[in-house]
Amino acid sequence: MRFFWTLLTVTLFLFNPFVANADGRIFVTNERSNTVSVIDAKSLTIESTIEIGERPRGIGLSPDNTELYVAVSEENKIVVVDPNTLKILREFEAGSDPETFAVHPNGNIYISNEDAAKATVFDPKTGKQIAEIKVGLEPEGVAISPDGKRVIVTSESTNMLHVIKTPENIIENNILVGSRPRSAAFTKSGNIAYATAEISGEVVKVDIVKAKIIQTGSTGDNKSKPKDVIISKDEKTIYVAGGRANKVVVMDANTLEIIKEIPVGKRVWGLAMSGNGEYIFTTNGVSGTVSVIDTGKNEVIKTIKVGEFPWGVVVKDN
Amino acid sequence: MLIKNIRFLLIIVMVVSSNLNAEIIEVDFAYIGHEEHPALLGVKQGIDESNLQGQFLNQKYNLEIISENKIQKHNFTKYIAILTTVKSEELKNLAKKLTDIPIFNLTDESNELRINCITNILHITPSSKMKADALKQWQTKTPDSKANPQSWHYSFKKFAARDLNKRFKKNYKTNMDDYSWAGWAAVKMTSDTVARTKIINAKNMLNYLKTKLSFDGQKGSDMNFRVTGQLRQLVLLVEDNKVIAEAPVRGIAKPPTLESLGILDCSK
Repeated sequence: MRFFWTLLTVTLFLFNPFVANADGRIFVTNERSNTVSVIDAKSLTIESTIEIGERPRGIGLSPDNTELYVAVSEENKIVVVDPNTLKILREFEAGSDPETFAVHPNGNIYISNEDAAKATVFDPKTGKQIAEIKVGLEPEGVAISPDGKRVIVTSESTNMLHVIKTPENIIENNILVGSRPRSAAFTKSGNIAYATAEISGEVVKVDIVKAKIIQTGSTGDNKSKPKDVIISKDEKTIYVAGGRANKVVVMDANTLEIIKEIPVGKRVWGLAMSGNGEYIFTTNGVSGTVSVIDTGKNEVIKTIKVGEFPWGVVVKDN
Repeated sequence: MLIKNIRFLLIIVMVVSSNLNAEIIEVDFAYIGHEEHPALLGVKQGIDESNLQGQFLNQKYNLEIISENKIQKHNFTKYIAILTTVKSEELKNLAKKLTDIPIFNLTDESNELRINCITNILHITPSSKMKADALKQWQTKTPDSKANPQSWHYSFKKFAARDLNKRFKKNYKTNMDDYSWAGWAAVKMTSDTVARTKIINAKNMLNYLKTKLSFDGQKGSDMNFRVTGQLRQLVLLVEDNKVIAEAPVRGIAKPPTLESLGILDCSK
């Protein structure tokens, strides 16, 4: 049986016209439709739609890709889905108003509880809460360093990046950034992170060890309200979802100067990259679509209709 | 021996500097007005949120409530800002008395106060002209609509307004209205400035707020003040207890769209 799957994987890999390394799937939460859209990475078409619960937002995979987690905000829970069979496996209470989360290399989930001014840590196997960390108002973005030593939680109405040390789960530093920080991403070394500030229309590059901003860049015109940020594989470029500017802003990772603007759908918030770094998927909330960007050309190669107000996106490569 | 001494000195320096870092900055606000006014609830919400931020930065925010009849004898030197619901002549007199302190006008909508450009009054509440312009824009698009122009509404959800409405209601068991939003915004923009700049002197605060502010009022755009002292902001159009539109109205207002609402200049 295992051999069969391997064979199938290899076959799909060889005949994949679009996403070279991803015979897998792209999962998208639709905030208003209360569903998760499942996109087949090979054909880039909708394969299935899962009824998930009220106001799904954050979405992520377990480190071994065997479980898909969805934050169902209005129902205060995380729903666990089998990303292969697409069956709902279980669910657990995840504190008040879970919005975004990130999965630690050890499998635990760090969640921002937007209306409770805290971050909580859950073991998704047992559904038990392991820790609770008091942070600022409206915590949103969660990022975990690849070595798992540090976690960033952004608090939107307190304008801070809270740097949390693990496994102690205590705040090591608080870094004031521009207004309404929404999202953060670590480099591979875990020493540098990028974060977006929505209202001030900025991206900051932060030395996480020294807790200092080392570069600030503007995402352009005043419509640009940056949300998600992701880093290219070679770490020379960052991609920023431009919100109501309806574009993805490509920036030099060092200078934070704009290299290119890629028009996508309306109110783009979510970004996810394929494992090989060749494709980026964007959620365009108002348009109800996902744009597929080829990072070689920095152009949109396909637009896929999903549910109402797509919010989060994650790529399962295999 | 020398090395030992240097080490010892270094330890002393480190201890002293870490103590300095740990020193708490205390910031005092004064509210002048009725204790039952909804603006005061917003002020309190703002103080709570400022203290939540302050716990990470060693900053503490205090509020004193001063009744209108005690203004004359009160010593105002320690306050970073005054938040008030007093109107017209009383507001002008207050501004004359306290020239170097930011005075946040939370309730008075008169156009005249904006035209006068009184240097230390910051109008959080939109002027009548701003509201009238908002309605006019909306009615150009939908002539039969009898919507009410407001600066805030509890049904407003966009731009994280939903979150602010939710936490206010949780704390005070009542909906956030225009006045409570104004009280909240005044405190929050001041404490944001303290957090970012460490300014704790009222005169410097006034100068910063008037010239360099970039504030997230949970109404979308980045907020700052006009020369008139008026806070630039969008105006909500409310019908049947629901926000039905926002002004500047898209397709009607000319860019820069926020300047299509209200008075832009001082009287000569």
